[in-house]
Amino acid sequence: MIDITVPQDLWDTEDEGVIFVWIYADGALVEQGKLIAELTVEKAQLELTAPASGRLKILAPAETIVRKGTVIGRIEPP
Amino acid sequence: MAQEAPSSGGSSRTLTMARAGREAVIAEMRKDPNIFVIGEDIAKLGGVFGTTVGMADEFGAQRVVDTPISETGFIGIATGAAMAGMRPIVEIAFVDFIGVCFNAIFNFAAKTHYMSGGQFKVPMTMMIGYGGGYNDAAQHSQCLIGTLAHVPGIRIVTPADAHDAKGLMHTCLRDDNLTIWMVHKAIWGLGWLGTAIKTAMATVPEEEYTIPFGKARIWREGTDVTLVGYGITVHHSLQAAEKLAAEGISAEVLDLRTIVPMDRDAIMKSVTKTGRVVVADEDYMNCGVTAEVLATIAERNPKALKAPAVRVANPDVPVPFSRPMENFALPDADKIVAAAIATLKS
Repeated sequence: MIDITVPQDLWDTEDEGVIFVWIYADGALVEQGKLIAELTVEKAQLELTAPASGRLKILAPAETIVRKGTVIGRIEPP
Repeated sequence: MAQEAPSSGGSSRTLTMARAGREAVIAEMRKDPNIFVIGEDIAKLGGVFGTTVGMADEFGAQRVVDTPISETGFIGIATGAAMAGMRPIVEIAFVDFIGVCFNAIFNFAAKTHYMSGGQFKVPMTMMIGYGGGYNDAAQHSQCLIGTLAHVPGIRIVTPADAHDAKGLMHTCLRDDNLTIWMVHKAIWGLGWLGTAIKTAMATVPEEEYTIPFGKARIWREGTDVTLVGYGITVHHSLQAAEKLAAEGISAEVLDLRTIVPMDRDAIMKSVTKTGRVVVADEDYMNCGVTAEVLATIAERNPKALKAPAVRVANPDVPVPFSRPMENFALPDADKIVAAAIATLKS
């Protein structure tokens, strides 16, 4: 099991971001490296990819405000 | 068509309209080297609305072309390239700037196939953002769909969700004529343009598919009143239908989806069933899409209507900058609810 954390290098500033959309539903099988969510920070739409393959567990739904380092989900065994 | 990468166990994906449209563009560009994209900020930036993110890296500077602020220039380049056998995609981020492109669009792209007796085609697709509601004022908030729809020789589609965005983009790119694919800015799927409109995001298949021109789409069936819209007004109408349902009124939501050619049969089928119609459009009311819908009813079967039709559109004013004034002028769910109730009181 591995946490899905908002990466420290996803954007340059310390601004908050917001989860705009989860590409897959809670419980869906996802593949490492594939896009799983889009975040909005200031005027940018950023991509978040799966850190591992497995089953997606969403902890923070769309519209949740996040910071770099926030844990927003988990990848669980398939 | 081989999948470009292994799918994630077949899990279904919810995409934004920007991403879905881009997926279609990338798929077609991989197949056909004649397709190139030209516009402002599309290479390095990936498009003001995220339409071309990552594409310059894959296809290079010859096929994803950044231009100066010179719509007249690059629409002319694209039109000429299309007449010479290429298949350009022109991005115009804000429809408001189409004014400096009118000659190339109206007099060349829309007419050359006809005037050359079929010798020259113009297989050009324009990708255009339109609409307001976020305080960008009169010169950055227009729709101008009615203006573009008025001249023969142009096909115009206005997908309202990501599923339709991809299918219609494939159809546009495979068509040999001038096609215009237009997305309201509030539904691209960009957080900085406002809160996400969830109904604009949709499940999008990984494989390619097309949606034919001229086919409207019923988003919600109903029996008491037909709410006709396109783009953002589909989403306003869906919200309105929910509010009307709470009042015991069953509203049908019809998405025109293609403006030219318009699906007049679908309009008549719905209006004949319900007998009442509200047409919602963020564009200027006068001489526009709402009028064309009502003209269809008046010509084909005015007796289908049990009450006068009601239009909800920009009341022929420049889009205001002031927030309360802009909200007053533009269509929204509450105005559509009021219009629907008015048709039932007549």
